[in-house]
Amino acid sequence: MTKRFRSLIAGFAGVVLVATACTSPGGQSESPTPEASEKPQQGGKIIQGDTSDIATMNPILVADVPSRRIVQLIYDDLIQADPKTGEPKPRLATFSVSQDGLTYSYEINAKANWSDGKPIIAQDWLTGVMAVGKSQKTVRKSLFQDIQGFLDYCTGSATSGCKGTAKTISGVKIDSSNPKKFSVTMTKVSCAAIIDLTGYVMPTQVFGKYVTDTSKDEIDTAPENSAPTVFSGPFKFGEWRKGDQIILNKNADYWQGAPNVDQYIVKIVANATAIANGLKTGELTYGTLQAKDLADMQTVQTVKITKYPSLGYTFIGWNTTSPQAPGLADKRVRQALAYGLDMDAIIKAVVFGEATAHVAHHVPVQWAYPDVTLEPYKYDKAKAQQLLKDAGWTMGSDGFLAKDGKKFTLTLSTHSDSQERTTVAQVASEQYKQIGIDAKAAPEAFQGLVTKLTTGDPVLDATIIGWSLGTEPDPYQIWHSSQIPDRAKGTTGFGFTFFKSADMDKAIEAARNPTNGDCSIATRKKNYETFNKILNDEQPYNFGYVPNALRGSQTSLQGYNPAPFAEVYNVYQWWIKQ
Amino acid sequence: MRDFIIRRLVYAIPTLIGISIITFAIARLAPGDPIRLFTFGIRDFTQADYERLLHVYGLDKPMPLQYIDWITNAVRGNFGESLIYHRESFAMLMERVPNTLVLAGAALLLQLLIGVPLGVLAAFKRGTWVDGAIRIFGVVGHAVPAFWFGLILIIVFAVQLRWLPSIGVLTVGHDQMDILDRLKHLILPSFVLALTGIANYSRILRTETLDVLAQDFVRTAHAKGLRERTVVFTHALRNALIPVVTALGGILAGLVGGALVIEQVFSWPGVGQFTFQAAIAKDYPIVQAGVMFTSTLLVISYLLRDLTYAIVDPRIKVG
Repeated sequence: MTKRFRSLIAGFAGVVLVATACTSPGGQSESPTPEASEKPQQGGKIIQGDTSDIATMNPILVADVPSRRIVQLIYDDLIQADPKTGEPKPRLATFSVSQDGLTYSYEINAKANWSDGKPIIAQDWLTGVMAVGKSQKTVRKSLFQDIQGFLDYCTGSATSGCKGTAKTISGVKIDSSNPKKFSVTMTKVSCAAIIDLTGYVMPTQVFGKYVTDTSKDEIDTAPENSAPTVFSGPFKFGEWRKGDQIILNKNADYWQGAPNVDQYIVKIVANATAIANGLKTGELTYGTLQAKDLADMQTVQTVKITKYPSLGYTFIGWNTTSPQAPGLADKRVRQALAYGLDMDAIIKAVVFGEATAHVAHHVPVQWAYPDVTLEPYKYDKAKAQQLLKDAGWTMGSDGFLAKDGKKFTLTLSTHSDSQERTTVAQVASEQYKQIGIDAKAAPEAFQGLVTKLTTGDPVLDATIIGWSLGTEPDPYQIWHSSQIPDRAKGTTGFGFTFFKSADMDKAIEAARNPTNGDCSIATRKKNYETFNKILNDEQPYNFGYVPNALRGSQTSLQGYNPAPFAEVYNVYQWWIKQ
Repeated sequence: MRDFIIRRLVYAIPTLIGISIITFAIARLAPGDPIRLFTFGIRDFTQADYERLLHVYGLDKPMPLQYIDWITNAVRGNFGESLIYHRESFAMLMERVPNTLVLAGAALLLQLLIGVPLGVLAAFKRGTWVDGAIRIFGVVGHAVPAFWFGLILIIVFAVQLRWLPSIGVLTVGHDQMDILDRLKHLILPSFVLALTGIANYSRILRTETLDVLAQDFVRTAHAKGLRERTVVFTHALRNALIPVVTALGGILAGLVGGALVIEQVFSWPGVGQFTFQAAIAKDYPIVQAGVMFTSTLLVISYLLRDLTYAIVDPRIKVG
């Protein structure tokens, strides 16, 4: 399960939560697929290979990628992200935002019905939000705290702000004349809300009994979490053979049109090698491939390979307050570490060329990625050496830099279950030795590393790890100064570089909670431009590379067009060519 | 005999308590916090959320208290709710037990059915090419790493020849009761799991049979004019089998342990794979339930071994 947690966690999972879009592979030519003109054949089944079992099918409890995918197949979201830009677009509902940015109004599609024939109504979304309020095991509670009245309604620990005094959530108002219309009022403008609040439409006829006035946290252990009964998505739950497979049957009454295939099955396999083998033998219809298997898979005629830049990046995070490597506090040193590392060579050697060098937080497929030119930090050993010299580091007779009598040492930590990152650490150490830094790779267990990072353990100098980003580009949790862990106070966070900048905080806040209510893409993009320029210049991370997402599918599978923002968004249109 | 069984069962209790303490300590003291692990990177996950989850799962209590809570519930069959799956961990484990038992059982059967005759054959054909071939097989079978052998078999029989499936217990979409399909899925993993045992048995049986054949009572049996078959099966083989029974306890342990690797290679949804994945995810309740389950199985298998021992060799007094 390295598997489970590597995929699940090395990522920005909140992200995954909202990944519902349809874009064609970015960076690749976009010719209409030949199958577009063919009439889809009915029947057959899709067997997706995955390396982790799901944990739950309750949208409010989902915290991992496989569960999120199943939930997307059986429950539709209110909103989905635009194929090209990740901008919010209607799915189950159309929406509008009030002038002051505080109120969102939704209208659920008139055709949208549950699989039992009942219409999908505003109350069903409210049931989901109330369930979040009641749940003690959800990891999503804080996403809802800005809804007016949510804190009065929710229950939880004292520190969470939940009071549990109200019987309803005052900010959610359902239109008395049209049960499909509702509005949500926030206590402050929150640009991320439109994406954050999109899921959680849950059948009240099923889950209503867990959100009554007297309910406690029964929702957390509801039998429907592992055997749901009513659906709004293209598939209906069939059977969950634990650790083996999840069988979904087509929802013939799906409001956007019944799927072409009869079944969607997730087959759980041990690892990426088993996925590759399963694709070769035809036991699997599609699955994720690893870069190292690509050359081999390209020789298999029955398998089609699809590549696109992933919505995430692998980076080296510098601890700018490291007592062991005090040099990291100096911007010039961090820049030297960027110039002194031949990222293109690393990509070629370690990732088999299946990645692109990266120099900012947002990735090119996101609308938040800046249009301005950023410093690319092309490999330049002389420049690196000059910057280090400027920063006061002088070469000693032992071939290593020193300052004030202290040698420049650097430990590159990473998680040992990732061979790719371990190799990157080793190659980077060798390259840093060339510019006079006594660097060494230190792989360790992922679990331990994550705890050290989030608690701000000073023992880490530098860490090679990755983020996978989401549709909503708000980087608050990673880059706002409030997210820097503080060991003295016992607070934790993802700000493990300890880097802070008032200008950067301002840009993040302005794009997250603008006081003037302006959440337009244009304005937010401008703020993110400032934000990314600061990061690009200050180099608290070496932003590493954006790996390509690699998928293998049987050539018989038609209509499958995975993209950075989503993979199963159009699953009801997929078909199997006999 | 009854006293013997009771005494052995009583002895098992401190063993299991010891295992429970060690398991608990190793799971908890290894670096890493499960809540941080499964919430790493989640947007808008706050300190308050973290503290709430810590409390909900009882992880905010002192370690000894957590142990006492856990062990008192565990003896009642409640091993706690999985941190990831939000379900009772022992029940989840039990769902996977049949798969592991089928795999281990099939492997054990193969070991005995192939290993024993091979060993006897080698002894009878001592010094011939047959003996040589079996002995080479014994060494190779022992030396080859199971995961590697499994992958090779997958490449040959599943990917290239397409004769046998490489994933799981049943073809997707097939009826749960499709025995033939299940058997097809069982062939590769059970053979890989059995390989070490087959090699072991053939080696032990060869040595033992040779030893026994050289003994006086065999010569006497021949002298009495007994038929060759009676000499071999009634007198020689029965004595030669004693070490096989001795090895059985260890081999059962090997099967349960080895199943972990094989289950990974063949995506076999069994206890080993499940526990292993839970260990990586630091899902304590499942890890603890898994280790306790396999430990108990092991204690029972040693007990059974001793009993079988007494039955096979009446000279061994139960005591």
